[in-house]
Amino acid sequence: MKMFSVAHKTVFVVDHCPYMAESSRQQVECDVLTKSRAQGVIPLAPVSKSLWTCAVECSMEYCRILYDVYPLHKLINYIVSDSEFHILNSWRQEDQSTHELMSALAAVGPPNPREDPECCSILHGLVAAVESLSKITELQHERRTSLMDTAERVANRGRIICLTNAKSDTHVRMLEDCIQETILEQNKLAAGSDRLMAIQQCDLILVHIHPQGEDTLVSDRPKKEISPLLTSEIHCVRAGRHLSTKLNILVQQNFDLASTTITNIPMKEEQHANTSANYDVELLHHRDAHLEFFKSGENSRDLHMAGTSTRENGLKETITLKWCTPRTNSIELHYCTGAYRISPTDVNSRPSSCLTNFLLNGRSVLLEQPRKSGSKVISHMLSSHGGEIFLHVLNSNRSTLEDPPSISEGCGGRVTDYRITDFGEFMRENRLTPVSESSHDPSGKLPVERAKAQLERHTRYWPMIISQTTIFNMQAVVPLANLIVKETLSEEDVLTCQKTVYNLVDMERKNDPLPISTVGSRGKGPKRDEQYRIMWNELETLVKTHAGATDRHQRVLDCIIACRSKPPEEEERKKRGRKREDREDRTEKNGSKDTDDKSWQESERLKGLVDKEEQESEVIKDSPDSPEPLNKKPRLCTEEVQPPERAKGPVSLLTMWSNRITVANSRKHQEFVGRVSSVNNKFELYQQLKDENGMDVHENGKASR
Amino acid sequence: MPTVVLMDVSLSMTRPVSLDGSDEFQRKNLAVHGLNMLFEHMASNYRLEFTSLMAFSSLWELLVPFTRDYNALQEALGNLEDYDKTCVEAALNGVSNVVQQEWGSACPCQVVLVTDGSLGIGKGSLRHSLQTQKHRGDDKKFPLPFPFPTKLFIMSVANAEELQMTDAMDNLEELLRLSGGDGQIFTMEGPLCMKSVQAMFGRLIDHAYSPFHAVLHCGNLSSDVQVFPRPEPIVMDEEVEPMPRSVNIEVDEVGTGTTDELEEEPSASQMAGKSPNFCVLLHGSLKVEGMVALVQLGPEWYGMLYSQADSKKKSNLMMSLFEPGPEPLPWLGKITHLGPISEAAENPYGEDDSKSPFPLQPSAKRSYAQNVTVWIKASGLQTDVQKILRNARKLPDKTQTFYKELNRLRKAALAFGFWELLKGVADLLERECTLLPDSAHPDAAFQLSHAAQQLKLASTGDSQYAAFDHNIAPMHTDFSS
Repeated sequence: MKMFSVAHKTVFVVDHCPYMAESSRQQVECDVLTKSRAQGVIPLAPVSKSLWTCAVECSMEYCRILYDVYPLHKLINYIVSDSEFHILNSWRQEDQSTHELMSALAAVGPPNPREDPECCSILHGLVAAVESLSKITELQHERRTSLMDTAERVANRGRIICLTNAKSDTHVRMLEDCIQETILEQNKLAAGSDRLMAIQQCDLILVHIHPQGEDTLVSDRPKKEISPLLTSEIHCVRAGRHLSTKLNILVQQNFDLASTTITNIPMKEEQHANTSANYDVELLHHRDAHLEFFKSGENSRDLHMAGTSTRENGLKETITLKWCTPRTNSIELHYCTGAYRISPTDVNSRPSSCLTNFLLNGRSVLLEQPRKSGSKVISHMLSSHGGEIFLHVLNSNRSTLEDPPSISEGCGGRVTDYRITDFGEFMRENRLTPVSESSHDPSGKLPVERAKAQLERHTRYWPMIISQTTIFNMQAVVPLANLIVKETLSEEDVLTCQKTVYNLVDMERKNDPLPISTVGSRGKGPKRDEQYRIMWNELETLVKTHAGATDRHQRVLDCIIACRSKPPEEEERKKRGRKREDREDRTEKNGSKDTDDKSWQESERLKGLVDKEEQESEVIKDSPDSPEPLNKKPRLCTEEVQPPERAKGPVSLLTMWSNRITVANSRKHQEFVGRVSSVNNKFELYQQLKDENGMDVHENGKASR
Repeated sequence: MPTVVLMDVSLSMTRPVSLDGSDEFQRKNLAVHGLNMLFEHMASNYRLEFTSLMAFSSLWELLVPFTRDYNALQEALGNLEDYDKTCVEAALNGVSNVVQQEWGSACPCQVVLVTDGSLGIGKGSLRHSLQTQKHRGDDKKFPLPFPFPTKLFIMSVANAEELQMTDAMDNLEELLRLSGGDGQIFTMEGPLCMKSVQAMFGRLIDHAYSPFHAVLHCGNLSSDVQVFPRPEPIVMDEEVEPMPRSVNIEVDEVGTGTTDELEEEPSASQMAGKSPNFCVLLHGSLKVEGMVALVQLGPEWYGMLYSQADSKKKSNLMMSLFEPGPEPLPWLGKITHLGPISEAAENPYGEDDSKSPFPLQPSAKRSYAQNVTVWIKASGLQTDVQKILRNARKLPDKTQTFYKELNRLRKAALAFGFWELLKGVADLLERECTLLPDSAHPDAAFQLSHAAQQLKLASTGDSQYAAFDHNIAPMHTDFSS
């Protein structure tokens, strides 16, 4: 359906002239006497509804069904006509409820039979209806302003449903002519107004209501084009049951609805609670829920039409589906191809309210197609979401999604140490919650944008596998890791982060083991200091990605930088006479992204080495307590071995001899470019890559070298 | 989306193609060559799609039912036999039946009709079918449009000039129009040879069988993905939004919700992880936590990702597309108004995950969720009156219920202008008053006559007593305090 089809705007024009106060001549016994009390009591005379009452309650049913199925954007304007018109509500969404209308109708009251019939006419209401159709609705306004350059695509069409008692066919023609003229006049007015729109199409449905047993002077007429702007159809209906049936059919036709009857609903008898009988409940919903049936029907296959029954002279059709008593309350996932709101036809009957309450309480009911062959096919499901009941269409045919490959067959599927639990925790922290439009500051970022921003912050450094990370395997880091991703930090947060850092310093001092790929290592390995270096580097990487956010974030980073260069480590470095420290300090001072990545990259590299070293060290060591073997140094330090020529003091025979050999050998081949241009025996590999790509290969946290 | 390949095996397909070289080809050979190319492409890029092969002449035959086994399809192509004349209508009826039996009438399907443009003669020819299709009864309707959404691709092993020499092109265009217009006619360019048939099928592949590659983002984490079936662009409202909406290839994960709110959704697509990372992690965590992730597919277009397991232990990451719009699932509210829980004063899911902020309740209750009054059927009115009388007989115990029901009836009667009913019920209450047994509580009589009097006042329409929002309050008596 087009957004602005005739269904967008419906005007009810209900006749409030004196003759509508006439009785419908349909009587209702409301005094049902039980036998025991019947003696000596005169039963109350049956009551009968006036034509007005019949018209009002049937139109209210029309509205009730419409609002149930389309809570938005299908609007009703209710107008009552006597010696003047009374507009009972507006197009505004907040005015669209049966309660609003009932309240307004109560204020109008029934027609006054003593009013002068000469002054009264349905025409007042019809003219007002045309004027109302040209008034812009909230949705039309919204779309017109949002489309701007294509605002003319927003159409203005509408429907007038007139419930009246017409005098004759001539009278009807006069009404039509009058509407046609008013449209033309109104369209002229609309040309010069912002709040009015020219009417492009108006469908008039005139329902002539007459009392039971009275001949009608007006004849039925199917839809006919009066002018390119106006179509008209005439229905003559007896008040009462026939009128309600007619309006029920109209609401289905006007809003593309279809009917489903749920059959075989087991329900306890009201009088005998221990017996149960089967009931039927009819529901209305958008007809797309029957798409499969209609299409197949066209194709005249024998499948589904068994479930269709025709009532009321073939005007009304319903498809029957069988209730399947739910076995469990477990949530089963079904291939669902659509969900449609429903409205019970007979809303306050006992079977209807039993079914709807059952569903509103959170239960679901599968519905089965009766087929001639007797095979069982589940095609629909009834279930409620947030106080609204939906008819779900389930795919009962083969699915094109069957037998999908396992994700483990795809790329990355064989990796086994994903941080599944951690990411679960991440997802729970990033869950969404509705933010009421009233509490949202329109000048600020939309809530969903804030949610995305949070995702961005939380993933700046997020290693995906366990063996890629140390800090996220450490309980001690959790307080800092949770806080640092926040947009802003409080003083208290900074304090907590600093405490975390001090705690880590403490751990290092105590030489506590770190959860660095513990495979193969036994307790306090000799390379604990390297483990801590890796951990500090990684922590720094994490914090650096947030340091730019606020000064407080920066203070956390400062704290780490200040704390990590500790005396014992320094001593050790001095002992090794390292030059590397200078470079490291430079790295630390220079908090740019490049160096982040570099340091992380380095820590990864180191870690790999450490793992290897530890495995080797296991072989060499006698016991965990034995002193660190002097000759055992991390491989990464080999380049730091003091070059022989700079060595001070006496030189061993071995050194002298190997120097000689080295010099001799070096004459026999051309020296490697790298070694020639090395600084301190170090040469950076793949420099060209750095030039080509910059150093942002790790920007998205995929540190997977 | 499944594909039916409908291959013309009429005698005209065996016409030789004049070539300078020594090899002599039939048009059929060219067609088979092109189809082999298509199947090879699908086997490597589209292997999760189902394809079936049908051959037709005056009769039709399903050679290979829907399968992902592209070898079987190629094998069947190798064993094609030659038959009599071309009868497109019968074959299309066959397609309609085969597709509906397999997938029902809601599943969109692609039909690749391979023919030489010689569309039969006399009765049963396409020309005859099209000429007569308007004058037929419901039982012999032309099979197009198919009941299911269709894309029709006509691969003509003939060049456009040849088709235009007869009315073949006009007829094929009419066929495409009848099928709903979604599709295309491909013709050979240049001489009929292997190279030009390859070019033609290449154009089909580019147009309809290009794989859908996308990047899934979650903040700074991302993964390249391929989506099966390919999400097709859709037109929401041809008047206001005439441009089709298509899924952005940069898919943004918005956040996560719990599964029990999001059960099953329209049209699902399957994602296969192509690069070694984020998808597998996401899938694993979604599965373990029983959660779904919300994804943004384009402006005001959303979907969800979740772990879908079949009966065996295999599971995969699935993406379901919601209907485009700002509020695809009413019980979630507007997607743009979903914010991070960290901003909430307290965790709306509860510290122990015992709560949920969903589903959102609609601003107005539906009629079935409120106690509406409908008197269309006499039984509805009778039930409401009897309810009042039942409670009236149990006064003063049932004072509250009695007035509640009485006020409900009063409101409806006022709205419907049914003043006669108010008088009638007032009479009934007065009668009940006279029928009270001696043992009755004295308060009962007071309440009954008070209620009757109030109803009578309301039935005069006097604005003081007939206001809709006014409620009749129980009479304050010495007994009731």
